[in-house]
Amino acid sequence: MMLAMGESGLRKVYPVLESLAALIAGIIGGFIVSAVLGYDPFASISLILLSGFGNIEYLLSISVPLTLSALAFIVPLRAGLFNIGVEGQAYVGALAAVYVSSLTGFPLPIILAPLAGALIGFLIGVLRVYRGVNEVVSSIMLNWTLFYTVSFTISRYLRDPVIVHQSVRVDRMLSALEALLIALAITIAVHTILYRTTLGYYIRVMGSSPEALKYSGSSESRVTLTAMSLGGVLGGLAGALQVYTVSGFIDVTMSAVFGIGFMGIAAGLIGRATAVGALPASILISALIIGGHKLELVLGAPPELADVMIGVMMLALSAPYALRLLSSKVLG
Amino acid sequence: MSSREHVVLMKGIVKVYPDGTQALKGVDFEASEGEIHALLGENGAGKTTLMRILYGEIRPTKGEIYVFGEKADFKSPREALRSGIAMVYQQFSLIPSLTVAENIYLALSSVRRISPAEVRARAEELSRKLGWSMPFDYPIESLPVGLRQRVEVLKALLAGSKVLILDEPTSVLTPLEVEELFKVLKSLRDEGMTIILITHKIREAKRVSDRVTILRRGLKVGTFKTAEISEPSLARLMIGEEIELTVKGGIPKPGAQALVVEKLKVKDDMGVLRVKEATLTVKYGEIVGIAGVQGNGQRELVEAIAGLRPAIAGRILIDGVDATRLTASKRGKLGLSYIPESKLVGLALEMNIVENSIMTLLSRFTRRLVDVDWGKARDNAGDIVRDFGVVCRSLDDTVKSLSGGNQQKLMVGREIRRRPKILVAHEPTQGLDVATANMVRRRMLNLRDEGSAILLVSSDLEELLSLSDRLLVIYDGRIVSEGRPEDYTLEKLGLLMGGVIDASYG
Ligand SMILES: Nc1ncnc2c1ncn2[C@@H]1O[C@H](COP(=O)(O)OP(=O)(O)OP(=O)(O)O)[C@@H](O)[C@H]1O
Ligand SMILES: [Mg+2]
Repeated sequence: MMLAMGESGLRKVYPVLESLAALIAGIIGGFIVSAVLGYDPFASISLILLSGFGNIEYLLSISVPLTLSALAFIVPLRAGLFNIGVEGQAYVGALAAVYVSSLTGFPLPIILAPLAGALIGFLIGVLRVYRGVNEVVSSIMLNWTLFYTVSFTISRYLRDPVIVHQSVRVDRMLSALEALLIALAITIAVHTILYRTTLGYYIRVMGSSPEALKYSGSSESRVTLTAMSLGGVLGGLAGALQVYTVSGFIDVTMSAVFGIGFMGIAAGLIGRATAVGALPASILISALIIGGHKLELVLGAPPELADVMIGVMMLALSAPYALRLLSSKVLG
Repeated sequence: MSSREHVVLMKGIVKVYPDGTQALKGVDFEASEGEIHALLGENGAGKTTLMRILYGEIRPTKGEIYVFGEKADFKSPREALRSGIAMVYQQFSLIPSLTVAENIYLALSSVRRISPAEVRARAEELSRKLGWSMPFDYPIESLPVGLRQRVEVLKALLAGSKVLILDEPTSVLTPLEVEELFKVLKSLRDEGMTIILITHKIREAKRVSDRVTILRRGLKVGTFKTAEISEPSLARLMIGEEIELTVKGGIPKPGAQALVVEKLKVKDDMGVLRVKEATLTVKYGEIVGIAGVQGNGQRELVEAIAGLRPAIAGRILIDGVDATRLTASKRGKLGLSYIPESKLVGLALEMNIVENSIMTLLSRFTRRLVDVDWGKARDNAGDIVRDFGVVCRSLDDTVKSLSGGNQQKLMVGREIRRRPKILVAHEPTQGLDVATANMVRRRMLNLRDEGSAILLVSSDLEELLSLSDRLLVIYDGRIVSEGRPEDYTLEKLGLLMGGVIDASYG
């Protein structure tokens, strides 16, 4: 009995150990690249980490929208669906937040923005269920369509009277603490949905095997539509929070929101596709990004050094899985 | 150290899986040239584990392996293949969307350089020699299981292997196909190949093997010349106690109609009509068996009854209600339970035992519409595990980590413990050892005695003959014969199943 408890404990910490190993691999990767590029590796890595974690308030406010983006990627992923559309959902969410804020004040914008994202997620789901369009393909096309639609809408209808290439500002900003509380609440909600509700149960069954889902009495189309819509809700919220905690507005090149969906994929994977892993992974990635920019300012080193570290971490995390898959499927 | 005739020699093999399971506790094993060597043992005895180690798929925690007298330390199946060892798994490793020829080419090209045309020519020549006509240009997904297995065997032989490991090859085959396979295995042996046959069917080991090694709970019990050991002794050594080899039911008391299928037509995934006007009835308190060679529509028939596949025409009545258009879950609420042939359908392998134990009855474990009661679910999982003897370390184990037989016990236990009014069971005892299979059979008989209706589709004719109160034969999508089990001999069944004679029924 004691033994069994010890073992099940080990199984619980195993993923955490794997993530830590990936973290170390990432740091080593950064080390090597900076040395190759001719910068002092100790100085660059410590600069990245120190400045990344230097201003906790700033770090948190950046991490929170990213956490939402990671969650938006994770929920459909657990059903075996790739929500590459988080990016577009975030654009729409940001736009909705700015628009609603121009009509009424907080908190309505944050409440309505997710609905806009949900619409996009639902659309991707519908295309997959009723038209057989792969969600990755439709997402990528939608992301760009939405990019230009949102950009056009800003410059046409929501433009700031003074600075014409950006939108009006939202009515107020959220403090890092407020944002953190929202992120924690949503994390708990997503975790609860995945592990305590029938919906989450069916999402996970579908992720394990769509045939088993059908057998269990649910249907693939229903779960696809709900999981994609839920992903859209979270993606929309990611965009809204980006506006409300980081930028305060969006501009016609979408620079405030651009890339948040793709970073969310990285954060979701580094967080091992778990709801509870999303926030820590997002904080880590945000710190690396902040540190990367600082690196450029101080040492003149390319900020991509931080991207290399993120990339190595993702590789290190997916390597064991990819190896297993290769050895069991292709050979033999 | 090892003599030349020991094609394979494994010494003191210990395997502890990363999660702490001790699958093998110091096992010796040897196989010689030109023999069929049966590896016999109960579910979870460690048969598959031992052979996966030989095949280089997993590494032993301790122990040494010699192949053709040389020390072997395979780091991957590819290395094992190069040394002449091939393995055909319980679950095949074929790519469903690719054709037979493409799958064979893919496997061979990973071992050595060879052109597709050359592979094709050699594959055709070999299958002619074995007397198999293979549909080389058909995608794997369109083939019945028996043919898929042949593709695996072709792959192994073409790779030039001298040692062929087969993991429970007969569990997916019909009696006729088993005969065919055994004939081929014997001729391969006569040419000098070494064949290791994993099985828990004593009768099979007895019939086809030259020697037999018995494993029990990760330990070797012994290796014997098959001719010198009797079936009861094999059974005793395997289980550790005497077991009865058959089950016999009591007298049935059939009641009202539970399940009625009328002129049903069903298509398969490729759009081919597989069930062509099938009509049958199952009453409460009786077991109706369906015999048939795999691929004659039985899978499509039961899937249509379960609501996983649409009916093109005809009707399905469940407990008097027209269920032809109802969803699977509605049929479940009418009292229907279904044990599928494939564990990939009946289990979510990535999820744990507790989660799998409620897969078909989620609504019973739900509070306030959406809130899953995991405490209650855990109790239920514990009951199944105890009741059906599922060997696991904890209820939080993923189902993937269970041995094939234990997965089957979990799936079957879940459905039988529901006490369904109507049970549709497709190969319910596949992959189970004799004792467990008999336990499952007894449980089905109990269920019947309590008044449930059972439709049993099985490729085990003895199982069908001993359990069924009425027996149907399906051939080419039609029920071609119906009678009491006493009316059939094995020969007659074989002829009916092969479509040789037609009882001109219906
Ligand atoms: N990947 C794994 N991780 C952990 N434990 C495992 C794994 N594979 C098998 N086991 C355990 O090791 C033991 C032996 O399993 P194995 O699959 O070798 O049995 P088997 O004799 O082939 O049984 P069966 O007849 O049911 O297929 C079982 O207790 C099983 O649960
Ligand atoms: Mg096995």
